[in-house]
Amino acid sequence: MLQFNPQTLKKLRRFREIKRGYYSFMILVVMLVILSLGELLVNSRALIVKYEGDLYFPTYTAFNAGTQFGYDYSYEVNYRDLQARFQAEDGDNWVLMPLVPYDAYENDASDGVFKPNPPSTETQHYLGTDTTSRDILARLFYGTRTALLFAMVFTAWVYLIGISVGCAMGYFGGVFDLLFQRVIEIWSNIPFLYMVIIVFSVVPSSLSIPSRIGILLFVMVLFSWTGMTYNMRTETYKEKSRDYVAAARVIGASDTRIIFRHILPNVLSTLVTFMPFVVVSAIAAITALDFLGFGLPAPTPSLGELLKQGTANLRTAPWIVSSAFTALVVLLTLVTFIGEAVRESFDPKKFTVYR
Amino acid sequence: MNRLTPKNLLFIAKDIDMSCFGLRGSRPALLLTGLLTLGLVACGGNDGDSNAKGANASSDGFAPHDNRAEVQAYYEADPEFFSFKTIADLPADLNWENGSELPEMGSPKAKKGGTQYLALQDFPRTLRTIGPDSNGSFRAWILDDLEIRTAMRHQDEFEFVPGIANEWAIADDNRTVYVRIDPQARFSDGEAITTDDYFFSFWFWRSPYITAPWYNNFFSTSYTNISRYDDHTFSITTVAAKPDTDARVLELMPLPEHFFREVGEDFVERYQWRSKPTTGAYIVRQEDIKKGRSIAMSRIDNWWAKDKKHYRYRFNPDRLQFTVIRDTEKIFEAFRRGDIDQYTLNLAEYWYEKLPDSAPDVQAGYIQKSIFYNQRPRSNFGLWINTARPLLDDLDIRLGINYATNWQLVIDKYFRGDYSRLNSAQHGFGEFSHPTLTSREYDIDKALEHFAKAGFTQRGPDGILVNETGERLSFTLSTGYLTMKDILTILKEEAAKAGVEFRIELLDGTASWKKVQEKQHDIHFAAFGVFLEMLPRFWEHYSSENAYENAFLEDGSINPERKIKVQTNNLESYANPEMDPMIVRFRESDDKEEMIALSHKMQELHFDNASFVPGFYSGFYRIASWRWIRYPEFFNHKHSSNAGQLFVHWIDTEMKEETLEARKSGKAFEPEINIYDQWLEKAD
Repeated sequence: MLQFNPQTLKKLRRFREIKRGYYSFMILVVMLVILSLGELLVNSRALIVKYEGDLYFPTYTAFNAGTQFGYDYSYEVNYRDLQARFQAEDGDNWVLMPLVPYDAYENDASDGVFKPNPPSTETQHYLGTDTTSRDILARLFYGTRTALLFAMVFTAWVYLIGISVGCAMGYFGGVFDLLFQRVIEIWSNIPFLYMVIIVFSVVPSSLSIPSRIGILLFVMVLFSWTGMTYNMRTETYKEKSRDYVAAARVIGASDTRIIFRHILPNVLSTLVTFMPFVVVSAIAAITALDFLGFGLPAPTPSLGELLKQGTANLRTAPWIVSSAFTALVVLLTLVTFIGEAVRESFDPKKFTVYR
Repeated sequence: MNRLTPKNLLFIAKDIDMSCFGLRGSRPALLLTGLLTLGLVACGGNDGDSNAKGANASSDGFAPHDNRAEVQAYYEADPEFFSFKTIADLPADLNWENGSELPEMGSPKAKKGGTQYLALQDFPRTLRTIGPDSNGSFRAWILDDLEIRTAMRHQDEFEFVPGIANEWAIADDNRTVYVRIDPQARFSDGEAITTDDYFFSFWFWRSPYITAPWYNNFFSTSYTNISRYDDHTFSITTVAAKPDTDARVLELMPLPEHFFREVGEDFVERYQWRSKPTTGAYIVRQEDIKKGRSIAMSRIDNWWAKDKKHYRYRFNPDRLQFTVIRDTEKIFEAFRRGDIDQYTLNLAEYWYEKLPDSAPDVQAGYIQKSIFYNQRPRSNFGLWINTARPLLDDLDIRLGINYATNWQLVIDKYFRGDYSRLNSAQHGFGEFSHPTLTSREYDIDKALEHFAKAGFTQRGPDGILVNETGERLSFTLSTGYLTMKDILTILKEEAAKAGVEFRIELLDGTASWKKVQEKQHDIHFAAFGVFLEMLPRFWEHYSSENAYENAFLEDGSINPERKIKVQTNNLESYANPEMDPMIVRFRESDDKEEMIALSHKMQELHFDNASFVPGFYSGFYRIASWRWIRYPEFFNHKHSSNAGQLFVHWIDTEMKEETLEARKSGKAFEPEINIYDQWLEKAD
């Protein structure tokens, strides 16, 4: 059983006391849960189909061909049509559709042309459609999920590399430190966005979309880990010269033990306070890249792509930009509030001049 | 000369009049054109002057240079090509033509004057019209649409009307064209246009200094002789007799020799921002170049061709003022405000939504909307399938892809039925286009049938077909047209129903061009630039020598070790021993009937190979213009590619004041939404 030390418990207690950050955190957690169950809420595949006495649960299974339900086509059945048909037939068959019965890719032209349509509860496009008649809510939903997931994995990797390198620099010092400082100075002077654009542009598209997103992530991490190292390095330097580290060494503790058991827990507060801001910058970066057209491969739904469409159709389809903008603002505000609260709760001075 | 297209995909030029499909992002437009320089040898009296001038470094700081000796030596080294004859050598029995009986172009109602305001998305990277960076969208303004050709195709009649030449004659061998230059013809700096400018042009186009390999190659291989008879008479001989030999000579545009006297090793830098004297009606003045911000073109007061029959009602505005606005939406907003005079509405979203007929400015008659149906060779938008790739080398797979590509849906729902389905890659060439070939319709059953023949019988868990070894039926669909990505996502969704996956790859224009030139693509969505010309091109796209090195063995069988040939326009890696002799015959023949038959046969062969999925074309262009931009009552000419190309419009300055006044006071005019369908292609 994981046992928090009293210090940590105190910090957590303080975090809970900071209402704005705490509620933001709770909202974000709820959002994450909803997003991770997304296929049950926003999907063109039905939740349950009852057909000729059999029950189908298509959400997470292989596709069901039209022929299985009495259509003459062999591609995936259109569950909305199926629902309409069953209702018209008025038999024992029925279809239970998710709340939003569209996925992020299908072009659903209700009036025969692909164009942005305003929000409508009748067609169940609750936030309207984009320029090729795709459901905005679905694209926003999956776009947000991708962005958040992306940002969290990104943060984890940046931390892992940043902490390892920074800690090693601070702890071992000497030539290793000197060398890596120079490497980092050079590396961090490479313009981040340009490099990502250039490197990602040569990635072959024959790879599947998830692996291309993985590569994009890798490239972004490659050019972003440096920021973390300097903080880690100074912190480690500071802690290393403390008496408790000397004591540990006298007892005969190994370097590994000293780093992981003694130094790391003591620099944790610095790391944790930065975390939400790294997430924010990751979301902003991926959105910016998408906006410029260099981010997630098409037709992956993304916030940046929606923003771009929105600004291009500001006059004729304001619902595109407003929903993307709102989503982005809410997301970034939540994370920032959490960040503030974390920073404050880890601050040893209860009353600080920064307030 | 428009017809001299280098091997390049269609990139659309002219920023605001940007052509049909909204390919705004694609700047590097390699729609090549020719130039020539002005006479040195002829003007003995000028020598002193120019030497004195040459002694000082030029105003832009380049050391003086004089290439006269070099050019002269070049002529002398190749007497076969550069012949100096006398007027007595001119054949007497020539049948001189001048096309002057053809009707005028433009409208007699046109008024000169006013300033036309336009937007550029990008400041031109150079004012050169040749060499690196020169083929951007601005070049249409300073070259393709501006310069006067030796003779110009009448834009309704297709025949030639006089340009720099007063008259011309085609020799009996159908290879040589004799030309008489109009003695009035002048460059914008007042120098007369003479035979020497044409001679110099050939030196220039073949010169390594210009760093333009396509020009070097074309002008070294397409012509065999230029002969001087006197200052205003010359002949040019082409390499082979053709039904359109005349076009190959008459569409040349001479370069001012006196201006290019300093062409040498540093040509690219030296001429980067020098404004070339033109034969056309407008000139770029040095003081009007505000780098990165704006550029202007001014009409020449005493233009030499201003009273010429086919030019006098054209080139009407006094000044063309270009402002750089990088974002297309901002350009559109600037147009709505009246800061820009015209905006192309080829895209459905602009025509129907962003500026609908019901828009207040349209209803009040301030802004007029026009659709003009034209007739000309159509850009061959479609999917180019690289048959050298695994799976795509299987005819059944390609047939399946043809049936799985739902262009009709794109046309009906994305283009809202305005565009038409392309039936072959050679559409709009009159008799040379195949009359009956019809592209394959979207048909899931047929697609599945063909995929099954190729071994893809089962659908995987995501609905994409797999074969027995578990291989998925999945291909990369790449394009360099970022603005058309929506089309590809629609095709992707539809193709998935037929069990084939398109992985979309969006590249910028240059990167995509590089990719297809290296034949690294599976399926590529693009179009090649097509110009107003008589003959479709087959050699570039379908010749086996452009597909593979040594495609076939002596006995006609496929060479098992053949290597893909890169840097050619055979994007399908199409190699067919049956096709090759026809292409050769087509190139050699000067019998029009035979060529038409060959052209049809080749299109059929190509159709059977199913390596091209014909996409769409637009049989019209449409534009919104403020009320003070006036067009002739017939709007424009049959073969025009966009509203501004022929400069038949004019600016009514009084009407501009009246309209601006009315806009303030709320007074309305009769709304004008005009459809000009006199040239509508009936078959559509």
